Amino acid sequence: MKKIGFVAALTLFAVVILSTRYYMVDLPIYHFLGGGEAPEPAALHLRGEFVESNLGAAQGPSGSLTVRMIAQQFVFVPQCIVVPAGVPITFRMTSADVVHMLSFLGTDYGLKVVPGAVTEATFTFAKPGSFKIPCHEFCGAGHYAMRGQLNVVPRDQFASLLPDERRTCELR
Amino acid sequence: MSYVSQAPRLGILVRWLGTLVVLCVIIVLLAGRDSSAQSPAQPASAKPPSAKAANSDPPVRIPSNVAWTEDTLKIVSSGDAFRGLLLARRCNHCHGEEGFSSASPVPNLAALDRLSFWKQMQDFRFGKRTSPAMQPIAEGLSARDAADLAAYFAMLPTASDSQDNRAFPQAMHEPTRASMAIRLIVFGDGQRGIPPCQSCHGPVSYVQGAPPLAVQNGAYLEQQLEHFSDGDRANDINVRMRSIARQLTAEEKTAVSEYYGAGLGPGVNSR
Repeated sequence: MKKIGFVAALTLFAVVILSTRYYMVDLPIYHFLGGGEAPEPAALHLRGEFVESNLGAAQGPSGSLTVRMIAQQFVFVPQCIVVPAGVPITFRMTSADVVHMLSFLGTDYGLKVVPGAVTEATFTFAKPGSFKIPCHEFCGAGHYAMRGQLNVVPRDQFASLLPDERRTCELR
Repeated sequence: MSYVSQAPRLGILVRWLGTLVVLCVIIVLLAGRDSSAQSPAQPASAKPPSAKAANSDPPVRIPSNVAWTEDTLKIVSSGDAFRGLLLARRCNHCHGEEGFSSASPVPNLAALDRLSFWKQMQDFRFGKRTSPAMQPIAEGLSARDAADLAAYFAMLPTASDSQDNRAFPQAMHEPTRASMAIRLIVFGDGQRGIPPCQSCHGPVSYVQGAPPLAVQNGAYLEQQLEHFSDGDRANDINVRMRSIARQLTAEEKTAVSEYYGAGLGPGVNSR
């Protein structure tokens, strides 16, 4: 009897844990186990991949696009990002202060952004358009006005980037 | 009697539970290692970029050497206000005897937040914020001097003084803009992604390094908003203030600055 309970508990636990892997549920413990390069929320602007000159869309040699963003009270940086349609885009985000969450309004995509960890996800936006990116996790007094913008342009309008070029659609 | 018979049972239970916990931990570790084995594998397609990115990354721009770490906060909060009082004699000429300047483009320092004062002094000192007047002065002040000055200015009162020649409350040029200003200060503009001023600059909530604006000069504020949106001033951490100032129209910048400069902004308890 005891053995059955033991095996059942262990199996249940293993199923739950493995299903989090299968469904790509982001348990915080994985950041600490698999982490390595955890960004320091207070020092994002000093070192690492989230320095301000490295934010925005970047192109790898294979043509893959990576968008790096910071979520902070109460703005997303860059506040306006531009990506081509129909191309898988890898988002890498981190938070400078508290937990934020964003969703691309009008699509099914969303991201949770945690301080001290990098959230990575790959999305493909099928159609061109412009999407608002509101913060979906209460982050403080200005939470309701925390809103970014994603512009998806047709693929042929998105000129390829130089290796050291970072593209945003910020007003200048 | 019952105690005697319970003891071995408990021992067995503890052993079973212990084994269970150990096995659960092993499962989590395995799952975690699975992810760590996977995530380097996934960046493996992105790793050549980052390995190659080592020589193709854009030149790193560091907006400010200040980071709000424990050590920084310790230095700033250990400031000695009396020593600051003595050091502040060289600030009085421009910033006023009581921390209120007589010219509106010169900022008031009375009741300024310690962290924001200290950060600006460091940024002047290391050339992250440019000012022909302030840079040479700040270069002569150590981190401790700046902390002492910050402690002194933070405790200066903001009450009005008829003997002090201060520029501070200056009536708005166009009082009709007041509604635009109060909208931005209290509500911001959610559609454009402009958070309300008071959610970082107080009194509703504060963000580290954000100065209180309630007793600041209007002309100074307007000038700084313009510098932020032009990129002439770029010492805000993580592009926060630049992102916001870029979204504001020229009229909105004037409205908000004049509103604060008139002493109408929230957070003033006396003027």
